[in-house]
Amino acid sequence: MKKETMPPGNDYLIRCPRLGHQIYFSYCRSENMGLPCFKTLDCWFQHFPVEDYLREELKPQEWEMVFSKPPKPKLLSLLELAEKAKKET
Amino acid sequence: MEVKKIVLPESELPRQWYNIQADMPTPLEPVLHPGTGEPVGPDDLAPFFPMPLIEQEVSQERFIDIPEEILEKYLIWRPTPLYRAYGLEKHLDTPAKIYFKNEGVSPAGSHKPNTAIAQAYYNKISGTKKITTETGAGQWGSALAFCCSLFGIECKVFMVKISYDQKPYRRIMMETWGATCVPSPSTETESGRKILEKNPDSPGSLGIAISEAAEAAALDEDTKYSLGSVLNHVLLHQTVNGLECQKQMAIAGDYPDMIIGCVGGGSNFAGLCLPFVRDKINGKDIDILGVEPASCPTMTRGPFAYDFGDTVQKLPLAPMYTLGHSFVPAPIHAGGLRYHGMSPIVSQLVLDNLIRAESVQQLETFQAGITFARTEGFISAPETDHAIAMVIREAIKAKEEGKEKVILFNWSGHGLVDMAAYESYLSGQLSDHALPEEEIRRALEDIAPLPKPKQYRPGTIS
Repeated sequence: MKKETMPPGNDYLIRCPRLGHQIYFSYCRSENMGLPCFKTLDCWFQHFPVEDYLREELKPQEWEMVFSKPPKPKLLSLLELAEKAKKET
Repeated sequence: MEVKKIVLPESELPRQWYNIQADMPTPLEPVLHPGTGEPVGPDDLAPFFPMPLIEQEVSQERFIDIPEEILEKYLIWRPTPLYRAYGLEKHLDTPAKIYFKNEGVSPAGSHKPNTAIAQAYYNKISGTKKITTETGAGQWGSALAFCCSLFGIECKVFMVKISYDQKPYRRIMMETWGATCVPSPSTETESGRKILEKNPDSPGSLGIAISEAAEAAALDEDTKYSLGSVLNHVLLHQTVNGLECQKQMAIAGDYPDMIIGCVGGGSNFAGLCLPFVRDKINGKDIDILGVEPASCPTMTRGPFAYDFGDTVQKLPLAPMYTLGHSFVPAPIHAGGLRYHGMSPIVSQLVLDNLIRAESVQQLETFQAGITFARTEGFISAPETDHAIAMVIREAIKAKEEGKEKVILFNWSGHGLVDMAAYESYLSGQLSDHALPEEEIRRALEDIAPLPKPKQYRPGTIS
């Protein structure tokens, strides 16, 4: 597949493994409160040089925040929320 | 004419679920709270789940009665048929006998209602008025909506807004079953309102939707939250499938040499295989194989260790197969195979060598799905294609070895609302991606200093 240097437009869709349907790059780029989804590199590297592109776009601390943090396992996330709920009540 | 499918009479529907925790050679290690280091107890879970489900989560009873009210609802689609895949066998010219359990015949189109029914029922008898959950494209949300409708419980699904806008069919399914499907972020929760204040046009995300669903449950004592995989009680409810299948295989006059299922959080695979795992514990020679995407080998190559849920290391610890808290899963094309961690039960059974794991590349899975559709007719969910790909591998291997192997797999759901993924494959957009060993090794270094469960064993990544 030919690799372009810029992200593909919104008419180019790939399947999002988290949502379970097709999605375009600009959504992934800002999915995380304006920052990229943590899976953006994995999902898009086959389609264009996404790492180079995002390293230019993001500040170093933003890069760290997005790509050095893991997804939270659902069970553990829920227990965290239970703790939070207990404290609030 | 040869028998194509075995359909049990309704009178043969199992009356009990099977709880593998009673027979596991190594008991599950507790989930630890990161602050105290003590096991998480019922009070920690009570804001989200009714007490009967919490009790099932830790139960050591081997068999647990299925309440009559749940049996009545199961009969809408259960027992599900067991098929012999003659068309696929002929296409592959294999001496292997291939059987598949068709869980796609449920109203929601997958195995998910096996537990959604039970969760709706136990919430109902516990006084829950409303159940919340989150969804992207909507497979779990639609299953829960269907089951809540059967027990007259209000169901609220926070659906990621971009999915809500782009994928109307499962949303319409949910609404048809009476659920309230809310585009997330919404104005109904504090977390949603905060997002909308900053960005009124936010397309939403799964993280936001989970926060909204959890907040709605945590702040209202009449509302609980529901989860469709990973947890012990979810796997328990799914065993109705494997117990049925044991009866059907007996009618067929065969016993599986190999059982195959796709593995995400572990619920559909466990549902079929756990009763057979019991047979294996009791001496049966059977190969039980969970299949996952090659690019996210949480179970295939990761070690069994305690893993923090986040990089700041505040979340409780749970023993599970993992690639470490800095691991970012690589791209996969299966909505159900997206968990960072695996079901603790499945992880422990792998550790005890009762089940094993293999991985397949995404192109192979879609090719397998298309082969299956053209030989057996059914169009599979993308995650189900992982199991089919492995079945084809094993059937070809049986041919090469000249063995009449009996292969059983779980056809966990149809792909009729997921055709865009097939279109991407057919148009040549997808490509293979294998996670480099070096990337895995680097991620594993992060969890090396953490406390290890008693039976800790390093993974095989060399």
